[in-house]
Amino acid sequence: MADVPPNEKPPVVKDPVTSSSMSLSILVASLLLMLTLIWAVYDETYSMRPWKGYQKDFVSLYQQFLQTKTPEQAGLEQQVRESREFQDLESEFEAAETAVAPQVEEIDSELNQEINPKIALMNAAFQAARGEIGALVYQQEVAAKDGNESAAESIRERIEQLRGQVLPVATPAMNGTPAEETEYVYTDLEAELDRLQARKAELQNRRVEILQEATDLRRKRDSYLQENLVGLNEAQMEGLQREAGSLQVGIRQIHVVEMDLVDRCESCHLATRAPLEVAAADMGGRMEFASHPRKQLLDAHDPEQFGCSPCHNGNGRATTSVVKGHGRHEFWLWPLWEKENIEAGCQQCHTRDLYLPDATTLNEGKFLYQHRGCVGCHRYEGYDTEGEQLLAVQNEILQNEQLRRTTLVEIDRTVDQADRSETDEQARFLYAKADGLKVSVSGIDAETTQMNGQVRHLMKERKKVGPSLKEVHVKLNKNWIPEWIENPQAFRPATKMPQFRLDEQQVRSISAFIWQSGVRGDLPSHPRGNASNGKELFETRGCMACHSVGEGGDAVGGEFAANLSRVGEKANYEYLVRWVHNPRVRTAPYCPFEKRDLTPEDYENHGLPYVFDLDHSTCPNDEHELQVQQMTVMPSLRLSTAEARDIASYLMTLKQREPGDYEEASYIDDTALFEEGKELVRHFGCDGCHEIAGLEEESRIGTELTREGSKPIERLDFSLMTHDAEREDWYNHKGFFERKLKTPAIYDEGKIKGPLEKLRMPNFHLEDDEITALTTLLLGSVESPLPERYFYHPEDQRQAIQQGWEVILKYNCTGCHSVRIGQRSTLSGLPLYQSPDWREQLPPSIIGEGARVDPLWLAGFLSNPALSETSVNRNGVRPYLQARMPTFYFSQGEVLKLVRFFEAMSSQPQPYIAPELEPLRGQELSLARQLFRSEGAPCLSCHATGDPAHDARATAPSFLLSKVRLKPDWSGRWMLDPSYISPGTAMPSGLFRRDGERWISAGPTPPDFNRYDGDHLDLLVRYIFQFTEAEQR
Amino acid sequence: MDWHQLWVIISKPDNVPIASLLVLVPFYFWYAFRQSFANDRLIRQLEADPEMAKTHHRKTQPYHPSWPKEVHVWPYLLRIEFLAALIVTVILFVWSITLNAPLEAPANPSLTMNPSKAPWYFLGLQEMLVYFDPWMAGVVLPTVIIVGLMAIPYIDINPLGNGYYTYRQRRFALWTFCFGFIGLWVVMVVIGTFIRGPGWVWFWPGQTWDHNLVVFDLNRDLHDFFGITSMWGKSIFGAMAVGLYAAVAGYGCHKLITLTEFSRKVYERMTLLQYLTMQMLLVLMLLLPVKIILRQLINLKYLWVTPWFNI
Repeated sequence: MADVPPNEKPPVVKDPVTSSSMSLSILVASLLLMLTLIWAVYDETYSMRPWKGYQKDFVSLYQQFLQTKTPEQAGLEQQVRESREFQDLESEFEAAETAVAPQVEEIDSELNQEINPKIALMNAAFQAARGEIGALVYQQEVAAKDGNESAAESIRERIEQLRGQVLPVATPAMNGTPAEETEYVYTDLEAELDRLQARKAELQNRRVEILQEATDLRRKRDSYLQENLVGLNEAQMEGLQREAGSLQVGIRQIHVVEMDLVDRCESCHLATRAPLEVAAADMGGRMEFASHPRKQLLDAHDPEQFGCSPCHNGNGRATTSVVKGHGRHEFWLWPLWEKENIEAGCQQCHTRDLYLPDATTLNEGKFLYQHRGCVGCHRYEGYDTEGEQLLAVQNEILQNEQLRRTTLVEIDRTVDQADRSETDEQARFLYAKADGLKVSVSGIDAETTQMNGQVRHLMKERKKVGPSLKEVHVKLNKNWIPEWIENPQAFRPATKMPQFRLDEQQVRSISAFIWQSGVRGDLPSHPRGNASNGKELFETRGCMACHSVGEGGDAVGGEFAANLSRVGEKANYEYLVRWVHNPRVRTAPYCPFEKRDLTPEDYENHGLPYVFDLDHSTCPNDEHELQVQQMTVMPSLRLSTAEARDIASYLMTLKQREPGDYEEASYIDDTALFEEGKELVRHFGCDGCHEIAGLEEESRIGTELTREGSKPIERLDFSLMTHDAEREDWYNHKGFFERKLKTPAIYDEGKIKGPLEKLRMPNFHLEDDEITALTTLLLGSVESPLPERYFYHPEDQRQAIQQGWEVILKYNCTGCHSVRIGQRSTLSGLPLYQSPDWREQLPPSIIGEGARVDPLWLAGFLSNPALSETSVNRNGVRPYLQARMPTFYFSQGEVLKLVRFFEAMSSQPQPYIAPELEPLRGQELSLARQLFRSEGAPCLSCHATGDPAHDARATAPSFLLSKVRLKPDWSGRWMLDPSYISPGTAMPSGLFRRDGERWISAGPTPPDFNRYDGDHLDLLVRYIFQFTEAEQR
Repeated sequence: MDWHQLWVIISKPDNVPIASLLVLVPFYFWYAFRQSFANDRLIRQLEADPEMAKTHHRKTQPYHPSWPKEVHVWPYLLRIEFLAALIVTVILFVWSITLNAPLEAPANPSLTMNPSKAPWYFLGLQEMLVYFDPWMAGVVLPTVIIVGLMAIPYIDINPLGNGYYTYRQRRFALWTFCFGFIGLWVVMVVIGTFIRGPGWVWFWPGQTWDHNLVVFDLNRDLHDFFGITSMWGKSIFGAMAVGLYAAVAGYGCHKLITLTEFSRKVYERMTLLQYLTMQMLLVLMLLLPVKIILRQLINLKYLWVTPWFNI
């Protein structure tokens, strides 16, 4: 620069651009790039494919497990092998094999040493020649087709030449024959080959024939081993070990094209379908390597057809992490079900099944949904449909009536027109038209009659979860009402009635409305009965199959219906007598068309007596069907009035406070509260569970829950809890449902709302397991993306089972009976029935009822269990039982469903045609009589006869019913081995023994029998099926 | 302060580019300006010493006699570019390994997500929808933006500053760019990402995004303030208001364009068409902040309401 002295060298300044080295930076950057490259490769091969690690772990653990398991299985196999049966089979097989060994040897040697080598050698020479000829034939054909005659001719000559050529076949030295070379002309070679092939086939067939017996015996031996060995045999175990050792690392996926399903779950869960049971403990505690815990489910739902995720949810395609595979990701809409809700998966397709053998939680959820009255407010497809059906039919009837009226007008008009018509032709035409219309009116009438019948039955079927509130006037202590409404749980813990969020004023208004809306009526007065006798009747007649008595843990009895510990505080004695005598009796009938309860005046106006029951169920005003029964499932036990009085008197003693001690609720008669109370009752949807005057036709107040599980999460109102939920990880359907069920008002927390804006759902005080069950049901209530084929909509007997079970649950048949294998009745668990004497008093198990009884008889019995029109205070079939088979007043449809259910449960063919039994011939009658009254097993000592003195000690039904009631083939099986049909029965087993092709009596038989060569069992069955009263004497 | 949620929003893979914008834009802003100022100093030095200007050759470094006059592209430029390529590749590798595609739930036609946001680079446009009607914000203004960007080379006739950073020689262009890109684009993107929550409601950073939030917003058009109701009245009044704005804004812009002697020189050389195009673009650009301010201050919805479009 300018100020630098010229002779002074300028300081050396390095050029920053050219002198600086960037090597280090580039080296570092390159190394970083290398590292990230390695990282990327590692990420791609391992981090993104965690299943590789799982597969590696699995192989070592599984091999270890198989190694410890193999000796165990080998030991088991050894045991089977050492058993006498196996040894016998083994030696039989060996004997058969040795017997034919020389012949087999001979055949084998001819085959292997002579024929097979010859064929091989000759074939080689023959094939070459034939190949050449074949090619030439093709050329000849082509040449001929092209019209090249001379070429074709020359090829033909060439073929002839080849056919005639001599082919040498060299046979090496074998079996003593020296090596030789034979020469064959082509055609001879062909013939010789054919001969050898034929000989070979013949020898092979002979060999199979000779070995037939040995092969059969070996198969028998092997299948014996297979059948008697629990698990796999040693060879199979070793096969598994080999398989495990050579496991290819790779994705394992199920691909079902039909539903676009790709499930790669088995890439980690490798033992899911292992042929033997693998527990997590066997695999070092690794849950993911256990086999499917319920194999039987996989049999019904083949994973190749169903995959995994349709049942379990989760993201079947994801393989990069456990979280993603299980779909536990914010944006995956179908996360894996939590373990306790796993049965939600069943609900997706088994919507209509109220009972699934392997889904106890879900079954419970479905039962609770109906039983606890969820259905009163929340519609759910398939539940409580009677009301909707009823409405539909009633509307149709109205339409029909309208149509009838317009048709009648039309008839009049047409006739009028005809009278005034100008030509005969026109008049005839119009008269014919009027006649046609008249006929159509009769068709409408027929349809209406039929629909009225339907209404009748639907009225019978329609039930409410809670009692009718129209009866409060005759039923209740009015001072008790407010206390109950305020907190039902305080009065009766575990009651179905939930606790609403009401302030004092609201409780008063509601009480007043309910009290004032009740229908007025008089009850006949009854003297007090014998309470101690009433207690005994209560405990033995079967009341306790549904009702319990006692507080808290001391409660004894069924939980299906109310706990009656304090019923004496609230109820009116006269009402209880009527209720116990027949709970279906109403104070006033309800006309759904006039939408009001009828009064005696309505009947008087038409000059009719004030009588309404199932036989007098039409409205005097408009002839429509009336609701003449209370909408309760409680049946009539057909008690006498005296018995009803005794039980009612006993119930009146059940109290902790005197009814008079309740605070006087004078406001309850204040009519000013009526309208406000009505509004509140409507607002809170009380009519969902109760029959309430003026609110009979209200619709459900809650949201429909049929598809609640697939409602977008944004549509579930977590309100102010949203952020807590997100933070605490319960911002999902499960979290919402569980908290809502636990505390229904929870999402109101912190909200400022008016009194009628608050969430209406009351608190049911559900137990945790009940919440889990209901949550499972709701989670499974989804819009399933699966093809229709996957849904369980059987149309055969399995449908009858689905429908019948609904009725069984509705009326709590399981309170008294075992209906399914593994299900015990409520009664059988009560302390009373634990002693041997009382055990015999248990109502019968009706597993297999369909095989036992004639369906037509069963239908009659279900409608009238007394089997009598006059003497109703008794059991029709088992008069000796203290517990009473009640009259449920089933509708025709329900009877049909029940009968079909039992038939289907026993896989009985439909329809049932009773087989013709051969009448007893000649001396058979006297022989049968001897057998029947034999000393060894006198049938009539236990079976009822109709003689009251004898029947008091009887433990089995009368034979007089057999002919109409039983099925003969069942009767035979029953007599052979009753303990297989009903374990623990008093009926003795081993009455017959096998003698060749027939059954003969196992006891001592009179000498007459020596000459009888028929089947004794068959004889007895035929005898019983023609049994008469005269015969009994 | 809801730190948890703030972190959730910032750390969403989708929002990583915007989070990096927050750091990178200021950094490069500073870096570019530092270089510009260094160059400006050199320019001043050279202007003061014409002798030196004759020999000086490298624009960004001081003169040194032993240094070659020019350096070769290979290797001196390419090696830097290579290093940059390496570093960018490493960053992209690490990014793609650690952050997966931010997929969300399957689309549900009956349920719109809330907030429903455009891709991050379009958030500026979405933000404009708050202040203008869809016809303006969705069609007219984006078109103007694109056409305006294409027009820049024809409007910008300042010959200086090619190939080197400078502040002094391109003051007007720089500030226009900063205003347009950083102010009207980057800031809008950041607002759209971090500030706009459920219901497109304004949430300050750290304020919880509450889906149940209820806000009361009553926006009024300008004519409502004056009680004008007839259609013609509204249209004419609005046109006058917008005209007034255009006059004021145009005058302001003109003052800015002719602020320094240098820029006056540039202005002198502009044709009328160039000048008018630039004025129109500037007036339109200014409209957005003006409307934001009016919205915040007096809840103004539209200045000009016509049956066909609103401004």
